[in-house]
Amino acid sequence: MTALVLALFVSATPHAPQQAGSALHDGAREARVQGLGKLLRCPMCQGLSIADSGSSAARAQMDRVRELVAEGKTDDEIRAYFVARYGEWALLEPSAHGMNWLVWLLPVVLLLVGALVIGWLVRRAPPPHGDEAAALRAKPPLSGDPYLDAVRAELRK
Amino acid sequence: MTRGPVVALGCVAAAVGALLFAFASGFGRDPHEVPFALKGKPAPDFTLTRLDTGEKVTLAELRGHPFVLNFWASWCGPCQLEHPTLARAAQRYQHDARFFGVVFEDTTEDARVFARPMDPSFPQLIDPQSRMAVDYGVTGVPETYFIDAQGVIRDKYVGPLLDGQELATRLAALQQPSAPGASR
Repeated sequence: MTALVLALFVSATPHAPQQAGSALHDGAREARVQGLGKLLRCPMCQGLSIADSGSSAARAQMDRVRELVAEGKTDDEIRAYFVARYGEWALLEPSAHGMNWLVWLLPVVLLLVGALVIGWLVRRAPPPHGDEAAALRAKPPLSGDPYLDAVRAELRK
Repeated sequence: MTRGPVVALGCVAAAVGALLFAFASGFGRDPHEVPFALKGKPAPDFTLTRLDTGEKVTLAELRGHPFVLNFWASWCGPCQLEHPTLARAAQRYQHDARFFGVVFEDTTEDARVFARPMDPSFPQLIDPQSRMAVDYGVTGVPETYFIDAQGVIRDKYVGPLLDGQELATRLAALQQPSAPGASR
């Protein structure tokens, strides 16, 4: 029943974009278009790049990227074109300036803090008591198994 | 307490504070809302073709008079819903602003089929590859742009414009001089 309702709904819904996209460039040029598209945010999607989205807006933007590449614009100029229209929001990889530095530096700072805390905890751990240390160093009796004895001898070093 | 833990605690507190600040500023805005950076900026140039007559329409010839650009597509349901509101406004406010529809990501044939039953209240323009739409920072359809007599984008409305009063308010704002500091 659900399938029937869904089928009726889908068939009654107007089809999505019909306009043909622009022709792909050859090899390296198209790879550059796709690379740029991967770093630009699709305005109609959730966290998708325009290269990964099949939405109408994303396709229109990919066509524009292709056109700008064909016009000989640099990657920075193409990114600036989209930022001028959609703000920094358009960039999936925020540029490193102002508050954006937080995004780049915070993970490093957190890693350093984590290392500091671990280092402090390790240094703070009490050394084994004298008796326990002596027991650990004491030569255990031979087990009769040469391999086990060899491992124990290695551990005592 | 020794110096080590104090430093570590300070760093953790600073990191948590920075995260809280980032979250607080992020939660203040709608994540679905795409920023519109062209507000108050000169409208990008365009030359488009009318769907009905095939005549060219350019930005240059529209200067000196406010105009409204409505981006739509035949596959967009909300565009059909809002069209009567725009058609009525185009007639009613024809002395205040000119209205144009711009076909977004659609074929000329489908756009003609869509536009035919509607009254020819305002010209519809074909935008090949939606180049002009991207130039204007369109994020989807329908979207309606309000451009003043100097060619400055005053505002845009995202979604179907169903409220005639809302439209009238925005058209009235087009008649007012732009705020000081707005780019020309």
